[in-house]
Amino acid sequence: MTARLKTLLEPFLARRIALFGLIVVGVMIFAAIFAPLIAPYDPLAIDSLARLSPPTAEHWFGTDHFGRDTLSRVIHGSRLALIIGVGVVSFALLTGVPAGVASAMFPRVGAVVMRGVDVLMAFPALLLALGLIVILGQSVANAIVAIGVVYLTTTARIAYGVCLRLKAEAYVMAARSLGVGTLQTVLRHILPNMISPLLVQASFVFAFAQLGAASLDFLGLGAPPETPSWGNMLAESRIYITRAPWLLFFPGAMIILTAFSLNLVGDALRDRLDPRYRAVLGASRKN
Amino acid sequence: MNDFRSWIRRGFVAAVAVAGVSAQAAAEGTLNYATIGEPPSLDVQVGTASIASTISQHMFETLYAFDSSYEPQPLLAASEQVEDDGRTLVISLRTGVPFHNGQEMTAEDVVASLQRWAEHGSRGKLLFKEGAMVEATGSHEVTLTLPEPNGAWKNLLAFPNGGPVIYPASAVGAAGAEPLAVEQYIGTGPYKFNEWRPNRYVELVRFDDYAAVDAATDGYAGARVAELDALRFIPVADVGTRVAGLQAGDYDYAEFIPGDLFDSLDGDSNVVIHRNGAPIFGLVFFNSKAGILKENRQLRQAIQVALNKEEALRISIGPESLWDANGSFYPKSSVWYSDAGVSAFSEGNPEKAKQMAEEAGYDGTPIKLLVSTNYQFHYDQATVFTRQLAEAGINVQLIVVDWATLLKKRGEEGEWDMFFTHHGTVPDPVLITVLNDSYPGWWTTAESQEIKAALTGTADVEARRVAWADLQQLIYEQVPAIKTGDVYSYHIASPDLKNIGDSTVIWPHFWGVSK
Amino acid sequence: MGRYLMQRLGAAVTTMAAASVIIFFFIHLIPGDPLYVLLGDGSTPEQAEALRAKMGLDRPIYVQYVTWLTNVLAGDFGQSIFFQAPVLEVIADGAETSILLASITAVWVILLGVPIGMVSAVRHGSWLDQGLSGTAMLLASIPTFWVGLYLILVFAAWLGWLPSSGYPSIFEDGGLANLRHLLLPSIALAAPNAALILRLTRASMLDVAREDFVRTARAKGLPGWRIVVHHIFRNAVLTVISAFGFTFAALISEAVVTETVFALPGIGRLVVQSILRRDFPVIQGVILITVALYLVINLLVDLTYRWLDARVELE
Repeated sequence: MTARLKTLLEPFLARRIALFGLIVVGVMIFAAIFAPLIAPYDPLAIDSLARLSPPTAEHWFGTDHFGRDTLSRVIHGSRLALIIGVGVVSFALLTGVPAGVASAMFPRVGAVVMRGVDVLMAFPALLLALGLIVILGQSVANAIVAIGVVYLTTTARIAYGVCLRLKAEAYVMAARSLGVGTLQTVLRHILPNMISPLLVQASFVFAFAQLGAASLDFLGLGAPPETPSWGNMLAESRIYITRAPWLLFFPGAMIILTAFSLNLVGDALRDRLDPRYRAVLGASRKN
Repeated sequence: MNDFRSWIRRGFVAAVAVAGVSAQAAAEGTLNYATIGEPPSLDVQVGTASIASTISQHMFETLYAFDSSYEPQPLLAASEQVEDDGRTLVISLRTGVPFHNGQEMTAEDVVASLQRWAEHGSRGKLLFKEGAMVEATGSHEVTLTLPEPNGAWKNLLAFPNGGPVIYPASAVGAAGAEPLAVEQYIGTGPYKFNEWRPNRYVELVRFDDYAAVDAATDGYAGARVAELDALRFIPVADVGTRVAGLQAGDYDYAEFIPGDLFDSLDGDSNVVIHRNGAPIFGLVFFNSKAGILKENRQLRQAIQVALNKEEALRISIGPESLWDANGSFYPKSSVWYSDAGVSAFSEGNPEKAKQMAEEAGYDGTPIKLLVSTNYQFHYDQATVFTRQLAEAGINVQLIVVDWATLLKKRGEEGEWDMFFTHHGTVPDPVLITVLNDSYPGWWTTAESQEIKAALTGTADVEARRVAWADLQQLIYEQVPAIKTGDVYSYHIASPDLKNIGDSTVIWPHFWGVSK
Repeated sequence: MGRYLMQRLGAAVTTMAAASVIIFFFIHLIPGDPLYVLLGDGSTPEQAEALRAKMGLDRPIYVQYVTWLTNVLAGDFGQSIFFQAPVLEVIADGAETSILLASITAVWVILLGVPIGMVSAVRHGSWLDQGLSGTAMLLASIPTFWVGLYLILVFAAWLGWLPSSGYPSIFEDGGLANLRHLLLPSIALAAPNAALILRLTRASMLDVAREDFVRTARAKGLPGWRIVVHHIFRNAVLTVISAFGFTFAALISEAVVTETVFALPGIGRLVVQSILRRDFPVIQGVILITVALYLVINLLVDLTYRWLDARVELE
């Protein structure tokens, strides 16, 4: 077990900055889970007498125009960041991988499905997400779907590319010529070998999902505005940029830190990756 | 294909023309006005957006206009005669008033405009009820025949927002229900339409042949003198940008600045604060047609009791000089002011509310409150109210949508229990949307219908005032809607603008203003 | 080449056709009513219905689609519901801003991304490389609107050096000097994209450096910089060009937010506003044109790629 853990951590031990990324992600998950215990105030508690306070001993990150404590809201915001990240990654993997694998295994399916992916990719990502959210209505779940659709396409392309390469590998060909069924082949030979490239893709998707969600929030079309997400905090405070510049600093810094850390993690994982898959990953990025 | 060619050609011509004169500085006499956004159609007969009224009042005129104390005075009308106990109104028009296309305004144009307003105008039905008609009884005389006297008739003819502005008969003939095309923006006002470039500006230029009323300027009434060469209305949705742009001299006037910037702007010598003369107020409508609040008057009252509107105003607006926790639907200075019922305005008593809700049989079912974020103070106040109601054990579910969705959704009775909007000060209570039977909320109780009839059925001012006070009292008892308090929005102007006054009447206007 | 071109064009046309269906039908699934936005809060349902019939918006959706598509093919994108003006005219008005913003941004991206990426690759493994790569990674993680707001705060509000927002056309008063309005937005927009190009340049140069022909050149004793310029850079350019296709898509996406922050009269803001106003014809027009542009640019990128490097196999 420890040996396995060591192999997992190896890319991070070799590169300090990647380790930093991993730690930040760990702290964020911790904060998200224990938010109500760590946060000094109720993130929704209104105090009309303490509006727009600068950072003080009582309110380390200051307060917004409702008099709500920014630190507590930032801590609670990590919950939403985690939900969005995990949600978008799951959505992208659960839809993109089957689509990509099926396309690779059955060229006829691929002709249709990958064409569909091409069509979706022709839409600017944010506009696609915006359109979906307006159609579906504003909620956290719908924000996940709207952003997830954008990464469905890239994930499907990667799964397709990797799967095609694997399909051509000698041992898979051999297994197939021995009469092993397609489902068996996929489950036994293909999916296990896709885990590493998909893990890389997952960490990048997690990172970009943060930025995508923040943009949607900023345009007022992301998570419902009463939700304390970092993007919503920025959107609500933007008119106070000259009067209370610190209001935008902390939530913004959290978005950057999260996305940066996940990018570092993804980068470290990618460098350890078989070069054959690296090309597939590189060609399919989009934000 | 034609379209395609024409815009290319137009763009090319414009580019060449503009490039040729770009060496010249901006005309001295152009006023740059930063608006909160792109106006919808400027055809104010059919639309009621404030921004459209602000712009179009410089182009289009009504038969009457309000003076600074909100009394209607003749504008395109010269005089009137009221006959048959107020059922027949004979209005003679001023002669020699040209439209921007050069034609003289006659009774024919007025009849065509009023007929279109009666049929398709936003507020036309308030005056032109079933059986009412208008006809030309001379080259410069029109006669309105009403089935019942209408005490509000002159106010209704003077209110341009969704109101009866006068267009040439040729322009309205083709339009019908559809907003006028920009080529048909022809009026009698001191400025005429020049150009609308989407996302960039709407430009009006001075109308040199304008025929002014022979009376001193007073509010919207009296002479309207165009001193400036042109007015440019530029959409600048971001507030920070409007402020920074005005301070930098890019704009001469910027509208709707949030309260939290008031204190810093108040001391800035580059900025003149121009306060709105009349307040606007938030209104939370209750669904009288469906849902949990439909007939549960006691639960409505419980909600009313739970709310502390002062707290909501302080949070959503900021400086105390910009809001007033006033329960009356009219400010103290108005002839319509009354304190009937206002003791129930802002009790902020969660315990009492909790008890009332229990007595009303409330079981914790979520109450759906529809609100949009397009107007920041709607959302801010709704957020505060949600907290306050939670303290009284009343469970509010905020449904946050954009304005377009809200306008659609509120028409669907099953979708909401309360919705948030706002209302401007109107010169006559009949214009208040709470009294409108078909406005979502649908307040049509027997008591309300009776008093509404008393309010319109007479021309006697004193009787009408009493009827309105009774109605206000009834609003606080039956709670068809909740007024959330007066908000004095303000705009900022460059100190170079002369003769602009301290405050607006309702919408900022720029005749008489120079720079 | 000709056959390949025909194939690609065919694919592009199918994609466009599919996109047109998606655009039209999905957009009409958006709840909310453009007519209420147009008429305002005080309008009556009867008024809205009368107007709907007059504008032909009460016809069945597929009839509207066919009418729309027929007109689009004839070059008529319809009338904007909100502006009461031809859609093409509305879009053309925003095009100048968007095209200039994208161009200036692209200049930043190439000017910063490619040389720094090369330096990083040449010095790869050094502290300089790690610092530059790390910075690039950080820049790619910053929301453009956040940078934009702080750029406005510092350079417009505090220092007063640059305008905070808006953009008067270069054909209007001020002429080319008006371009300074686009300086801050283009910097905000360039940051993440330059970072992306930097990383791509670096990665592709390193990949090429490992290839045999470079090793051979090195073994032959050619000087380091000649190898870099002649062999490695030429090949790295290919990667950068191929990256431009999707950078363009990212530019459009991010421009939506950037134009909102800086109140620029561009197409990005137009489309967001049109979504909020439910101005369906404008949304359809903008997206259709964007998709078409995306396809054309990607086609051009592929053709350039092929032209520059005959060795590249094209499907």
